[in-house]
Amino acid sequence: MSVLKEFTKGLWKELPPFRLVLGLCPTLAVTNSASNGLGMGAAVIFVLVLSNMIISMVRHIIPAKVRIACFIVIAASLVVAVELLMQAYAYPLYERLGIFVPLIVVNCIILGRAEAFAAKNGVAASVADGLGMGLGFTMSLTFLGSIREVLGNGTWFGMAVMPESFEPLRIMVQAPGAFICLGLILAGMNMLNFRQARRRGEQAEALAQQQGCGSCGGCTACGAGARDAQAQ
Amino acid sequence: MRDMFRMIVVLSVLCGLSGFALSYLKMITAPRIEEQVLANVQGPAIKRVFPYAENDPIGERRRFEADGRAVMIFPVRSGGALVGVALEHSSKGYGGDVNIMVGFNLKDDTLAGIGATTLKETPGLGMRIAEPAFTGQFSGQKTPVQLSSGGGVIDGVSGATISSAGAVGAVNNAAAVYARLKKDILAAWAK
Repeated sequence: MSVLKEFTKGLWKELPPFRLVLGLCPTLAVTNSASNGLGMGAAVIFVLVLSNMIISMVRHIIPAKVRIACFIVIAASLVVAVELLMQAYAYPLYERLGIFVPLIVVNCIILGRAEAFAAKNGVAASVADGLGMGLGFTMSLTFLGSIREVLGNGTWFGMAVMPESFEPLRIMVQAPGAFICLGLILAGMNMLNFRQARRRGEQAEALAQQQGCGSCGGCTACGAGARDAQAQ
Repeated sequence: MRDMFRMIVVLSVLCGLSGFALSYLKMITAPRIEEQVLANVQGPAIKRVFPYAENDPIGERRRFEADGRAVMIFPVRSGGALVGVALEHSSKGYGGDVNIMVGFNLKDDTLAGIGATTLKETPGLGMRIAEPAFTGQFSGQKTPVQLSSGGGVIDGVSGATISSAGAVGAVNNAAAVYARLKKDILAAWAK
């Protein structure tokens, strides 16, 4: 049950690029076509699942002080492995993703899940977490890539899907299109959550407040600071 | 003290294991990667240089020795006869080595054309040496070639002198290898 929960949370509740807003570098950079998004996602799934698995296996051996260095070594080794395998078996994809394959090492999702989850949980739960997060990431990238490819190039996975008269919006497959698209998706997801919350009869304002500051916790600290200043 | 010792041991063992695993993986993927690079990078470059090739230059490639360095020579046939060869050479560019596939006409030793393979020049600037506007100038030239700033006939890409010189250098390096190996090449494919 709990393993299943760890798996499904990455698919919607903690969807990495759109909910946690993590791993934005590849999300913005390589999603100019649906197949690039899918390929990048597959590479991240491979690295994330294995790094979560290995890290949770060795979590009792690693001294706390050098844990980040250890996590990076594990993640970097896996990324180099992916790079070699991709060169050997999917060379055109490797050419298109370019520098973003080695950059998976510094993808926040990998280190974030290692530090926040795999270092504290068992192997099965960590693999489920990695698989869920990786799938969520892949879905998000493919979704974003699909929108951009269809609007910017009139194709989907290389197949023509728009009528002949369609004039491609070139900006969508260029860098600004990634920002525009991501912004609209984030806004749409927030609106969806807002609606759902209102239907459940919760206070919309309370939710909005919580969403903005829930993760930060800085407000109370600021408030305390202001009180201190007043006292002086 | 014991903590520090443990940190050193754990980190060293981890790095050692990862190095071992990766070198093993690199060893077993190396032949496949070479094949992929040949098919996806060098193959299209040869096709651009010799659009009229009727054989499979990649499949018929042979390894030669020049100055103790292995050189891969790709033969090109048209109308049943060996008309040209292509070989790749490099020279220093702005962002590392500029690798150029250089084609030679066997008949008069002129350049058949060149095609960029792997290079990491500045996008939009040095990378323009891979475009036909620059590479097209080499067809039919006698070697060695020179940039127009050095009294030659090749116009460099403006603002990318180092990259242009890198491409010209790679072509001249290839020409030197070709001149040295021509006899061996003709002998090897004579049969």
